[in-house]
Amino acid sequence: MGHAVQVDEKEAWSGGQSPFRMSYGKMMMWFFLVSDALTFSGLLSAYGFVRHKYSDAWPAAEDVFTHFPGTHAHLPLFYVGLMTFILIMSSVTMVLAVEAGHRKDKNKVILWMLFTIIGGFMFVGSQAWEWYNFIVGTHEGALRMVWDIDSGKYVSQVFHGANMTVNEYGPAQFANFFFFITGFHGFHVFSGVVINIVIFINVLAGTYERRGHYEMIEKVGLYWHFVDLVWVFVFTFFYLL
Amino acid sequence: MEFNDNYPSYETMYNHTDEEGKGKRRKLWNVFWIMLAITLVELFVGFNATKWGLTGGAFIKWGFIILTLAKAGFIVIEFMHLGHETKFFKYTILLPYGIFIAYLIFIILVEGTYCGYTENKPKLNPIFMDQKIENNAKHGRQYINETHGLKLSTGEAPKVQGESHHKGAEH
Repeated sequence: MGHAVQVDEKEAWSGGQSPFRMSYGKMMMWFFLVSDALTFSGLLSAYGFVRHKYSDAWPAAEDVFTHFPGTHAHLPLFYVGLMTFILIMSSVTMVLAVEAGHRKDKNKVILWMLFTIIGGFMFVGSQAWEWYNFIVGTHEGALRMVWDIDSGKYVSQVFHGANMTVNEYGPAQFANFFFFITGFHGFHVFSGVVINIVIFINVLAGTYERRGHYEMIEKVGLYWHFVDLVWVFVFTFFYLL
Repeated sequence: MEFNDNYPSYETMYNHTDEEGKGKRRKLWNVFWIMLAITLVELFVGFNATKWGLTGGAFIKWGFIILTLAKAGFIVIEFMHLGHETKFFKYTILLPYGIFIAYLIFIILVEGTYCGYTENKPKLNPIFMDQKIENNAKHGRQYINETHGLKLSTGEAPKVQGESHHKGAEH
């Protein structure tokens, strides 16, 4: 971490310097992440509002997400735990790629970036599976009242799963927030995977070897860690609490 | 004015030797193991929360929030390297959350709870409610009429028609 040149404190803020001792690109990535995190804060706060309002009718997540691939056993929280593990793991491989970049170890960067991309794909796939199960719903389904024009009264109707208007597990707003927040996060993960692939191709082509440093790995790494960071909060507020 | 950018270049600032890299890698793996342990504790508690009668309690709520903040702290400080940036950069990134988001969360949850009081909620038609209860009873499900309105039990439907069986009725 040896900072070869120290910037004088008084001169640092007089302009023409980099008081944060950081390159422009990396700082802008940080500022983008701050604004993006504000968006997610807003979404999760809105979720908190509705959840506090309908606290008596809100479903417990362990009654909703109980599936695990390859078995019909009742395994609440296991699958989302696995997803969390995959994303944290890919965050670790990302930071190891950054570290390898600091040593200009091209082969290690390639290896860890590859693992990160695979982890990202696994996570997006897991989320698709989770959505599928949520949308299809249980075999038993739930009841809702629909207005029957012929008889002129409400009649009951069995329905399965959840979508934007009905949700067999609880209020429809639970499904709306689930789709919006995890969907928005999944879109971020997908973008992250695409960006990682672009950078991965650049590493393979030797772009950063010629440039003399692997800072670009660090910049996309910041984005990737941010995606992991958001998931930590989504995991807590959607699945645990 | 000429841009006199005499901060050290990226190479001299962050590049390190293989020897230094070894220590850094060990640290990163330690962080990973801690985060994995926290996640496993969360899952274990979350899995047993109903059995231990902790669901919805303040203890479990704050426990999860503190563990989450610990994990988030590890990601931001170590993985995203913010702990090793300059002091003012840390403030630039973190203060908006310490001030605005902390207040937003506080006020929105207070208001949400207020909106959830019975007198502030729209009332349901009692005939509609009676029909709902009757129809659900037919299918082995029940609506529990509580002070705040309606609640659908999340138990499984009975295997045998007519036999009532509510596994998750306590939620």
